[in-house]
Amino acid sequence: MSVSEIPHENRQNGGEKRYLKANHEQVSVFFEYPNNTIKTSKYNAFNFLPLNLFEQFQRLANAYFLILLFLQLIPQISSLPWYTTVIPLVVVLSITGVKDAIDDMKRHQNDNQVNNRSVLRLVKGRMEEDKWMNVQVGDIIKLENDQPVTADMLLLSSSEPYSLAYVETADLDGETNLKVKQAITCTSDMKDNLDLLSAFDGEVTCELPNNKLHRFTGILSYKGKDYFLDHDKLLLRGCVIRNTDWCYGLVIYTGPDTKLMQNSGKYTFKQTHVDRLMNILVLWIFLFLIVMCLMLAIGHGIWENKIGYYFQIFLPWENYVSSSFVSSLFIFWSYFIVLNTMVPISLYVSVELIRLGNSYYINWDQKMFYAPKNTPAQARTTTLNEELGQVKYVFSDKTGTLTQNIMIFHKCSINGTLYGDVIDKTGEKVAVSEKDKIDFAYNKLADPKFSFYDKTLVEAVTKGDPWVHLFFLSLSLCHTVMSEEKVEGELVYQAQSPDEGALVTAARNFGFVFRSRTSETITVVEMGETRVYQLLAILDFNNVRKRMSVIVRTPENRVMLFCKGADTIICELLHPACISLCDVTLEHLDDFASEGLRTLMVAYRELDNKFFRTWSVKHGEACLSLDNREKKLSIVYEEVEKDLMLLGATAIEDKLQDGVPETVMTLSKAKIKIWVLTGDKQETAVNIAYSCNIFEDEMDEVFTVKGKDSETVRQELRKARSKMKPDSLLDSDPVNIFLAKKHKALFTMPEEAHALEGDVELELLRVACMCKGVICCRMTPLQKAQVVELVKRYKKVVTLAIGDGANDVSMIKAAHIGVGISGQEGMQAMLNSDFAFSQFYYLQRLILVHGRWSYNRMCKFLSYFFYKNFAFTLVHFWYAFFNGFSAQTVYDNWFITCYNLIYTSLPVLGMSLFDQDVNDTWSLCFPELYEPGQLNLYFNKKEFMKCLIHGIYSSLVLFFIPMGAVYNSERSDGKEISDYQSFSLIVQTSLIWVVTTQIALKITYWTVISHFFIWGSLGIYFCLLFLLYSDGLCQMFPNVFQFPGVARNTLNQPQMWLSIVLIVVLCMLPVIGYQFLKPLFWPVSVDKILKRIHYCMKHPLPPPIRPRRRRPGLRRSAYAFSHQHGFGALITSGKTVKSKALKKNSFPAKK
Amino acid sequence: MERRSRLQLSRLPDITAMKQQQLPAYQLHFSATMVFSIFFASGVFCLFMGIFLILSAKSIQKVEINYTKTCGNCAKLREDAFNHNKICTCSIPFVLAKSMEGNVFMYYKLYGFYQNLYRYILSRSNSQLLSKDLKAVEDCAPFKVSHKEIPFAPCGAIANSMFNDTIILSYNLNSSIHIQVPMLKTGITWWTDKYVKFKNPGANNLTDKFAGTTKPPYWPKPIYELDPDDPENNGFLNDDFIVWMRTAAFPTFKKLYRRLHRIHYFIEGLPAGNYSFNITYNFPVTKFQGEKSVVLSTLTWSGGSSLFLGLAYTVTGAMTWLASFAMLAIHFMLKQRKASTSKWQSKALKGQSRK
Repeated sequence: MSVSEIPHENRQNGGEKRYLKANHEQVSVFFEYPNNTIKTSKYNAFNFLPLNLFEQFQRLANAYFLILLFLQLIPQISSLPWYTTVIPLVVVLSITGVKDAIDDMKRHQNDNQVNNRSVLRLVKGRMEEDKWMNVQVGDIIKLENDQPVTADMLLLSSSEPYSLAYVETADLDGETNLKVKQAITCTSDMKDNLDLLSAFDGEVTCELPNNKLHRFTGILSYKGKDYFLDHDKLLLRGCVIRNTDWCYGLVIYTGPDTKLMQNSGKYTFKQTHVDRLMNILVLWIFLFLIVMCLMLAIGHGIWENKIGYYFQIFLPWENYVSSSFVSSLFIFWSYFIVLNTMVPISLYVSVELIRLGNSYYINWDQKMFYAPKNTPAQARTTTLNEELGQVKYVFSDKTGTLTQNIMIFHKCSINGTLYGDVIDKTGEKVAVSEKDKIDFAYNKLADPKFSFYDKTLVEAVTKGDPWVHLFFLSLSLCHTVMSEEKVEGELVYQAQSPDEGALVTAARNFGFVFRSRTSETITVVEMGETRVYQLLAILDFNNVRKRMSVIVRTPENRVMLFCKGADTIICELLHPACISLCDVTLEHLDDFASEGLRTLMVAYRELDNKFFRTWSVKHGEACLSLDNREKKLSIVYEEVEKDLMLLGATAIEDKLQDGVPETVMTLSKAKIKIWVLTGDKQETAVNIAYSCNIFEDEMDEVFTVKGKDSETVRQELRKARSKMKPDSLLDSDPVNIFLAKKHKALFTMPEEAHALEGDVELELLRVACMCKGVICCRMTPLQKAQVVELVKRYKKVVTLAIGDGANDVSMIKAAHIGVGISGQEGMQAMLNSDFAFSQFYYLQRLILVHGRWSYNRMCKFLSYFFYKNFAFTLVHFWYAFFNGFSAQTVYDNWFITCYNLIYTSLPVLGMSLFDQDVNDTWSLCFPELYEPGQLNLYFNKKEFMKCLIHGIYSSLVLFFIPMGAVYNSERSDGKEISDYQSFSLIVQTSLIWVVTTQIALKITYWTVISHFFIWGSLGIYFCLLFLLYSDGLCQMFPNVFQFPGVARNTLNQPQMWLSIVLIVVLCMLPVIGYQFLKPLFWPVSVDKILKRIHYCMKHPLPPPIRPRRRRPGLRRSAYAFSHQHGFGALITSGKTVKSKALKKNSFPAKK
Repeated sequence: MERRSRLQLSRLPDITAMKQQQLPAYQLHFSATMVFSIFFASGVFCLFMGIFLILSAKSIQKVEINYTKTCGNCAKLREDAFNHNKICTCSIPFVLAKSMEGNVFMYYKLYGFYQNLYRYILSRSNSQLLSKDLKAVEDCAPFKVSHKEIPFAPCGAIANSMFNDTIILSYNLNSSIHIQVPMLKTGITWWTDKYVKFKNPGANNLTDKFAGTTKPPYWPKPIYELDPDDPENNGFLNDDFIVWMRTAAFPTFKKLYRRLHRIHYFIEGLPAGNYSFNITYNFPVTKFQGEKSVVLSTLTWSGGSSLFLGLAYTVTGAMTWLASFAMLAIHFMLKQRKASTSKWQSKALKGQSRK
């Protein structure tokens, strides 16, 4: 088809609908669909310079200096030569530019790597390997098992029966279970016949690219017929093909149009609190600067009026100056230039360098390296470090973050006997060790990864205990797991919930191997003997029933019902005969629950044929009924699920990640609140909350809020609040009340999310913040983000979200700091995170060690940096009173140029990269040390004012002491010392000494490098001094280097050194005194701890504080099921069951 | 095997002290004893230093005579620029009660003369003063060229405003014998100024060398006639000129004018007796409310320093001592309170346990 044949209306509607035709490139070219290239990089070689400069000048400080530069070029007001601004500005811009360029190069590399992956593409009747980026809309592509999907495409055909294709969508939505996609019949008939496929000319009209993952509508017109397309037929980029040998697809959206890219959105730039504070402070400084300039301009006006006017005999006014008023107008701008160093030019770039350095420490930290997976921690965003030291709220995902999402069959109770504990001869429980693991060698089909330690259970199985056999048989039959046997004897189970997988695996290892299933049969290898059970019905699980059953016909033609479910439910369905057994089992269940295990009861019932037949008829009717089908089915189910005989109970351990309880305890000691936001259901969430110490037994009570509409939610919230603090029911109550009471709250988010609406959300926040532990269940990804936003908006604290799955992405992006666990659930969370590592317990190191250090360093850096610039600049202000407010600087121009860049940059960088008040061990030992960061004690507006006052004081000393020393004074040989050049040398040398000793006082951790930087800087100062003031340079450029000989004529004078010593004493003693008196007068809790640490450092180490692991005493049962509907319907419909015969037919080409 | 495990841990971060932030370090922590010893030590140091400085400053002998008002008639004359040809002299007698021993230096001191104005300081041409280019006067505004467009040498406001009074000190043995005290007019500049920063266009025949330039407007004579007797002290190399060109940091300043030539009567310094300054009054100061004095002074090791440094040290030392006593008191008070509260607490605890 040529382009001209494109239906007219489609040309017209090009803006509202997407039109494409298979195997017709021209269409794609005509509509200018993008190819499959993705681009996350920002610059290319040509636009880098202009674009990057443009971005950099959008920053307040850089723009300010650019304006300043232009001001300096105006001769009438220029009071400093141009190079004093240009040199620092160029250095700053180029450092940032280089950093941006390196970042962008990395993105280019990533893009290239993805764009150059190869894929099989149908070209002229043959499959050709091509790069991803060359894929066009309308291409037909072949994907093979375990390949990632190249672009969003319509499934045409696959190797599997019914043209099904299985995909894993972990990267898209975080769900690990497989999803089924099915091709429409008219295309699935083509199978992998390349001739048919290349002749395929279906036309697709569909919606424009959008970011809705679960929506797609389109129409396929093929051979004159229209077929309706929905998202079940669409393979999305980002998915991975699983369990499907091959499949063909028609590309619909490419590159930036794919749902994945549409969803990724623009990266939201995260700014730290310190960033915002810095911007405010820069504004303050700016205002302060203007006030100063105004004062000086007024002073100048008065001076010119009183003295300057008469001094015109020696210095006539410029001809454009007609009065002292005009002169002071010019002087305003001149002082604006002179005092520009108040706004520190290198502030932003230094802050960035420091953050970069501190991020590298995270990458380098060997204690955050996870050897089993060979993954180091990764600071993906290098601009948030100090915020890690201020975290107040941690929002954690549950599955995969707190837990490993690995279920382990831990214990069981069969017919009143408890199995699972290893008991020694005296009857005491023994801690298990790896070597006690039971060897399942007798069972060829056993899963080698399975471990169990109680030998008595194996003995019972091998002895042939009928109850034990029946128990395991029921486990191997009653489930919806699917098996796959690629290699003979190597079974792979595909379970919808990991709990079920664990149970079936346990049965498998104990000799009841679930081998395969069809829609009508289940094949089980029972102690080596293969038996086929006829599957008569699956009574599927749902949230109300909390149980599932299967009805099978045994090879002996007995009809059996096997049921497993929550204990509370099963107990009521038991036959009265097993009441005593039930009591024993319940006791065991209590034991299990107290260990935090997830429990299920297993029961069976033998049905007589006649009863089953009548029931089966009813069941069939209920299945076919159109309205109220669910309800009718459950009534039918209840008829058969009664008079059950109890077999026993299982206990599954939802394995926590390593060190989770300890970490949670450490973090809560650091006054960090941990909220668990999970999509899981309430029971499991509570269970996990107890086992990882988020809920503790000492806590008073649990408030559960699970209203379905906003009114009941409000009632529940109010009730909870009145219980905690009766007098706080006023609406005007501030949100920030904090109660130390130990409550715990539990919010189950109903699907409509009423708790997150309008004024209820405030209520929710109030209650939640009063509680010690908070868990939110049944959260959608969006709700997770909403909760984070809620806290962020009203509490003004730093929030951190940690998660591992794609469902956590929204919350990771919403929080101030997003941490991704690079775990099992795909990469999406990690890719959107700011920090990534592979174990939850690294969080404490990230926050308490790296975060705290970064915060402390950043605060020290900022307060010092502002101080040093104030001390430096304000001297000009004092000098103004003695030079007729004429904008004469105190220092040599070269000193002004080099001060921030060379003389004082290295020591402060060294401090903010190496300083640590206490080492990592102490930081972790005393999490209380973290508190100042949360309260932002070390650098805030008050601290800034202190810096300002300190700077003013220092500048006063720095100006008046040298002034007094040289005023009307002369050298011991009678010659000049009170000249301007000597004076400026004395002041600038004193300044260097003062700021250097000041930083020496600030540094608490003197490494070799600190020594090198500090003494090196002083050395560099003196070397440069002699160089810049040397005879040679002066004679070459007499107008640029105007200070020849000042260094050697002045540096050997007693006045010089006497004033330096006095200045240093006067500047340092108050600081030392203040540091000493501050903890005495205004004690902060941290001071005490620091004192204790200093005491401990001198004396032997205290025994390390081991967190007690408490055993929860209350009974908390949980049932092990996923909260979705089971696979039951799918299994019985037969769709997913692979039939071997069919499969063989589907490979005609291989023969 | 080992190789394999290394391969597996390919991304293991380097275990260096630097990367693991475990560099060996000295932890600086100020304990109470350290703080007090720092305070007391610096207090002692400052006090001693201060007293020592005051004593040495006191040993200096100084005579300062303000002749703005004394020579009031001359001052008035100079206020009118048309009188620049008229010579006005003024003699100021004074008595030296005690002899000034050692080297004696004579300074002129100006009050309220702003040598540190931004435009003033800039108004000079260093390349001209180095004789690199005598016509380089771009930086010399507002005294670049004469109204005939001839560049000034030296150009600029600093040079133009050079101090041009002549002061002669005479020793009056009695009412009739007045001996002119021998004074040296060289050796009063920094070595670097005289030999690095300033250069004449040539060694001799300065008149020719300075051809094409003209004298600054306020100067009575051109640069090459500053000291015709001594070619080493003429032109740009004139010591008085160089001293003037080193601009002062503050509006009140003292500049070295002459130093005593210690011969004959004056081998020990200036003997006690009657003296008089004979001043040729040229330099106008009253117009901008300035004043001028002449100063005779001896020096010590720390130069002609005023009392300021000594006083500042003494005050600092005293304050430091006061502060450290106050801090000590606070420290002990708090310690005692703490001890008593903890004692009380432990007592209370004991009492409870007894019950």
